[in-house]
Amino acid sequence: MILNIGRQLGSGGREVAKRLAQELNMNYFDKEILLLAAKDSGICAEMFERVDECAEKSGGFWGLHVPWNSYLPFVSGLTNDALFKIQSDVIRREAEKHDCVFVGRCADYILRERQDCLNVFLMADKHDRIARIMQHYDFDEKQSEERMRKSDKERAAYYDFYTDKSWGVASSYDLCLNTSICGIDGAVKTIKDFLLYKK
Amino acid sequence: MTQGLPLTLGTEPVGKLLRQYAIPAIIAMTASSLYNMVDRIFIGQGVSALAISGLAVTFPLMNLAAAFGSLVGVGASTLISVKLGQRDYKTAQQVLGNVLVLNTIIGVVFMVFALLFLNPILFFFGASEQTIGYARDYMIIILLGNPITHIYLGLNSVLRSAGHPQKAMYATIMTVVLNSILDPLFIFGFKWGIQGAAIATILSQLVALMWQFKLFSNKDELLHFHRGIFHLKRRIVFDSLAIGMAPFMMNLAACFIVILINNGLKNHGGDLAIGAYGIVNSVAFLFVMIVMGLNQGMQPIAGYNYGALQMNRVLEVLRKTIFYATLITTVGFLAGELIPRLIVRIFTPDETLMDLAVYGMRITVMFFPFVGFQMVVSNFFQSIGMAKKAIFLSLTRQVIFLIPFLLILPHFFGITGVWASLPAADFVAFVVSAIMLVIQIKKFKAQYALQIAEK
Repeated sequence: MILNIGRQLGSGGREVAKRLAQELNMNYFDKEILLLAAKDSGICAEMFERVDECAEKSGGFWGLHVPWNSYLPFVSGLTNDALFKIQSDVIRREAEKHDCVFVGRCADYILRERQDCLNVFLMADKHDRIARIMQHYDFDEKQSEERMRKSDKERAAYYDFYTDKSWGVASSYDLCLNTSICGIDGAVKTIKDFLLYKK
Repeated sequence: MTQGLPLTLGTEPVGKLLRQYAIPAIIAMTASSLYNMVDRIFIGQGVSALAISGLAVTFPLMNLAAAFGSLVGVGASTLISVKLGQRDYKTAQQVLGNVLVLNTIIGVVFMVFALLFLNPILFFFGASEQTIGYARDYMIIILLGNPITHIYLGLNSVLRSAGHPQKAMYATIMTVVLNSILDPLFIFGFKWGIQGAAIATILSQLVALMWQFKLFSNKDELLHFHRGIFHLKRRIVFDSLAIGMAPFMMNLAACFIVILINNGLKNHGGDLAIGAYGIVNSVAFLFVMIVMGLNQGMQPIAGYNYGALQMNRVLEVLRKTIFYATLITTVGFLAGELIPRLIVRIFTPDETLMDLAVYGMRITVMFFPFVGFQMVVSNFFQSIGMAKKAIFLSLTRQVIFLIPFLLILPHFFGITGVWASLPAADFVAFVVSAIMLVIQIKKFKAQYALQIAEK
């Protein structure tokens, strides 16, 4: 069984995912994917973090994608696409080995061929998101709002580029929940209930 | 092929890796630069000196056509690489279909517009009453074949990213060989003049295109033509264009530069000076392309090892690449300074044109030994993921410094000023790239001091 959790920053997605993994006895992967990818490839984790969930932050030409021309990673050097490819291989391999909860990183798309995936998207109201970001990053309100807006843009660009689907749009997922309404507990419970239909 | 990383990039000796990755790229690059050179040689020898000028006048238009031709292909091949990496064969197929349709549309539209305004365009690009006849004769055929060229180029980049880089290389070599056989046949045998060269160009691309069609019609291929992939999808079109925009702008800039050079030469030196530039450019381009091949070989090695924080290996591959690149451009420099007449003679028997070209060549290659360094550094930044610096550096030599020189120097030094703009821009760009590299390496050393000390 694979659970893929897409989430807005500040929606409590990570907490929900962690709880689900615990209660259902599944492996939990958020940033852990980056570490595994680093270990696998010999590339240091910093490089993966630098480009994590954003399309062309480090590179880009007027914000555009810079091409690399080959099937193999690294033919044009250290590009986001090459790193994404490595990450995808890790996600696929881990999913092969055991039950997993993946947070973000287009796992729903990478594992789209598998029949045993449930794809969930978690969002929250602006007010709650800002509050959560303030607490987590120790930001003030203005910084948090800024961070939130930027993260939404980056995640959407990243997801849309690699998946051909639209980030945060209901038809990209099996289930979308607003944690401002159901809370963390409610989200965990709802997803667990929903999983029953899947089986 | 899809599986596993080339982990050897982090362990094998750097020199061996560089050879392994660079040699095929150098062959492909040399082949594509020979392609243009062959046309110029046969036209110069078989038609007339003015015909070379007529041909040189068409370069900006050819550049423009190439810009539009690669607009879709480059982006699409990146998309295909990404999709194949994800084993998303369905989307990759659709990209292939979309490339074909888009390139056909762009190829036909470009053809129609360029043909409609051919005379004003050519005059703007540096033609005169004496050369326009040749330029028109050549360009009309090239433009009629433009859709073929565009589709061929597009499919070739797809072929490269679809896991067949060697087949893409064969296609390139095929066009070069065919063109070199057909050129003398049409020019000397059939007496078709400059049109013969154009027909040979289009015919050889057509043959390569048919071969590509055969490859892509094979149902066993990962990517092949079939119904349903030819509907344009908004997402694919948009993403391909967005990715292709950067190279497109670079090509556009190249076109603009050649217009400036052509007009400068025409105003200060007359029609033959443009032809002389055609010759000099052809020779310089050969060396530049070899360095570009070398750079392509460096990219994966520098990129991987930078990611793996093996800074000593990164610096080693950089040092080695700079060494070879400097060697190559120094050979170009020596050839251009010591035996220019011998080289120019290959292109034309005309003494006046020869004198002009020899004069131009001597000036143009003046700072050539530095050009190798500059190109490698620019590429180095790209391979470690610093694309902005890379693009800035490659623009310095060809655009940012060249344009002011081209606008200013000819006013004071006439035709010498036009020629001198090229090495002047080379030199300033070299200084800038050296400064940027030194700063970057200092940063590396500070950042990774521990790691380097350990080794």
